[in-house]
Amino acid sequence: MKDMFAGAGLAMAMALALAATPTSAHHSFAAEFDITKPVTITGKVTKIEWTNPHAFLFVDVADAQTGAVTNWEIEMGSPNGLTRLGWTRTLLKPGDAVTIEGSLGRTKPNLANARSVVMTETGKKLGAASSEGGTSR
Amino acid sequence: MRRIAIAVYLLVLGSTVAGQAGRGAIAGKVTTDQGDPAAGVTVQAKDASGKISSVVANRNGEYRLTNLPAGTYEISVPQMGVRTARYAQPNVVIEAGKTLTFDIMLMPNNFGIIGDDGGFLHIYNKYKDLKGPAPRTPEGRPDFSGVWLANVDPNPGPVHMLPWAQTEWERRRDRAFEGMPTSRCLPLDPTMTLPFFYKIVQTRTLLVHLFEQDPHYREAFLDGRAHPKDLDPTWMGHTIGRWDKDTLVLDTVGLNDKSWLLQAIWLPHTEKLRIIERYTRPDLGHLNIDVRLEDPDTFITPVERHVQWLFTPGEEILEAICAENNKFQDYSAFK
Repeated sequence: MKDMFAGAGLAMAMALALAATPTSAHHSFAAEFDITKPVTITGKVTKIEWTNPHAFLFVDVADAQTGAVTNWEIEMGSPNGLTRLGWTRTLLKPGDAVTIEGSLGRTKPNLANARSVVMTETGKKLGAASSEGGTSR
Repeated sequence: MRRIAIAVYLLVLGSTVAGQAGRGAIAGKVTTDQGDPAAGVTVQAKDASGKISSVVANRNGEYRLTNLPAGTYEISVPQMGVRTARYAQPNVVIEAGKTLTFDIMLMPNNFGIIGDDGGFLHIYNKYKDLKGPAPRTPEGRPDFSGVWLANVDPNPGPVHMLPWAQTEWERRRDRAFEGMPTSRCLPLDPTMTLPFFYKIVQTRTLLVHLFEQDPHYREAFLDGRAHPKDLDPTWMGHTIGRWDKDTLVLDTVGLNDKSWLLQAIWLPHTEKLRIIERYTRPDLGHLNIDVRLEDPDTFITPVERHVQWLFTPGEEILEAICAENNKFQDYSAFK
């Protein structure tokens, strides 16, 4: 387990004087997600958990070859943080098509976090504050 | 009178600068890891003597620092919220008569998870130009009441720990800081240096901090009482305060050893921890807090942090009940 975080550990040792490690407002992301495994998820929203300490999006993803559907669980920030970015609990509805970029979970299959969520229909990047780039990517 | 004095000083300084050769500049654009402009961040140039020149990046993330004596600098951008980590690049050479083009990309402190820091930069930029004098209470004291956007120390000094504490810190690091008390919905850090929202409610005899993490409040007693003897150690401890002219000095003892100190470095401590906070409000928009952490059983020298909070009168504290749906322990790689 120690080797798994060796790279992060080195960065963190240097950071002791500089005060910067990849932890969130709530918990260690590095314990739950692997930043070296970026993932792009395209599918349809099935459920939203608008809860503390984190909101979760559930997305059905169809395999391009077989058509088999897998339900992914996507961790985001807190409802308070999302609210301050302009999200509401009804912004995304079941059936909405989205593309999510994030990092893969370490333990549970089909778990990821979200760095960005884009509505497929409009190309709009959700919850991007103007000073952090409101443009679609 | 003071304005005239400053104007004269600037005139003298200006003529001195104009008369000196050997100056250069540095300019460029600051972006986030997603390529978006990092509007409102501060870019600092520290020379060999430790003198810091700084400028705030504009809405396009562009900055320009001019009139720097030729030499070698450390270029840095302080952490803003948890969205952008502190950036520092030593040994940047600025040559006389030239402008060095130097673009900066800020890495996320938190994997860049959407909503994790609630648009810190966006809210910061909304309020950063508030002007006006610091309000006062009917008793004539500075009034700190209101909602504030806190941030970490822009230039945090080093931490010198005793061997046991260094070992404990390395253990935490090797477990990717999975043991953060908040990951189990416990309180985090009693130092008031986290980059989140706080609301201060101030009366003549009491100063209350409200915040969106457990335990959601801290009371500081300003009625002249002393710390009780034989305090049972608690997460937030026991806080008393007194005024030193326009500075409010808060003193906290009676802390348990379970909290982790200082956002992103997560230091251990013992029950001997004492926290001294000194609050001043230089103007309407800002609250300066000097924090000193004394714990002779942990720190070789006291740890100091100097933070500045931004007044955000249009914002509010929101409810956040962590135990509602906390999945961290199920999904963590550490069992």
